[in-house]
Amino acid sequence: MNRELIYAYCVSASMSEPGGRPEFEGLQVVSSGGFYAVVKNVQECDFSEENLKKKLSDLAWLDLNVRSHVTIISMLMEDHTVIPFNFGTIYRSEESLKKFMGEYSNAIVQNLLLVEWKEEWAVKLYCNQDVMKAQIDNLSHEAAELEYQIMASSPGKAFLLTRKKADLIDLEIDRLSKSYGQEFFNEFNALSASAKLINIIPKEFSGRNDKMILNAAFLLPKDKTIEFVSLLGRLQKKYAGIGFELEGTGPWPPFSFVSIKENQ
Amino acid sequence: MYDNVIDRSKDITILELLDRVLNKGVILTGDIVISVADVDLVYLGLKLMLSSVETMEQLKAGKMITEK
Repeated sequence: MNRELIYAYCVSASMSEPGGRPEFEGLQVVSSGGFYAVVKNVQECDFSEENLKKKLSDLAWLDLNVRSHVTIISMLMEDHTVIPFNFGTIYRSEESLKKFMGEYSNAIVQNLLLVEWKEEWAVKLYCNQDVMKAQIDNLSHEAAELEYQIMASSPGKAFLLTRKKADLIDLEIDRLSKSYGQEFFNEFNALSASAKLINIIPKEFSGRNDKMILNAAFLLPKDKTIEFVSLLGRLQKKYAGIGFELEGTGPWPPFSFVSIKENQ
Repeated sequence: MYDNVIDRSKDITILELLDRVLNKGVILTGDIVISVADVDLVYLGLKLMLSSVETMEQLKAGKMITEK
């Protein structure tokens, strides 16, 4: 038998019945103890524990559903402060969802206060090492010094120094990545209420040739958006020439900043 | 103001979306939730897809076609 399950999008302390947009079709509000969860009834064939696991490896299904999860929460965020649920959070019954809102009421209130009037912005920094290598004499005093010595040396000595320089370049790229990465992070962080470092995505997942050196999320007060975006634009322009690519996305629901852990 | 700087939703890659909604492992309770092990499976699927895209591109570019 194909039972219905409850798919949860977000929980809030205020919520009107979602409507008026095609994306909101089928959404319902479950309320309890002053909290409102926005949910949708879904079929067990997609979202039972066993079936959800199978569906996760279907990228077309995943893409559609993850996108819709984020879109719906983002739209609700336009009018309400919400705590987003992780993608694929399912309750077996309304009672079970209401029980959650009752048992975790303190955590829900704390999280709502934390994210009120704020949005999540994501910044990823990539370094194209080939571009940086080509500029290394301009970026590193030590590399420039060594290059000068190579030019002034006999062919034999120049050969040895060139090998030494290759090692130095790797170290210098590492050092420059760290120091610029930290500087960029600090600048974004200065505008934010909170920041989180997220795992670096390796090349085999990103499908990119350059290397991700920073993956960060910032919880940004809404009145800082313009400043944040213009900082991003400024840094993008200023550092593209030496191989840094900054990718910024947002506003997102504050997925990285809410934390309601299961009671142990 | 937002032009060129921010990638709006239709341009957002599945990787970026997953990075937002799955990368945490800290939230939330629910009767059914996606576990960290499941997330690994998602990324594995993504890796396979990316590598097959790469293979396709290489095939198209004739790099992998040797002799017949």
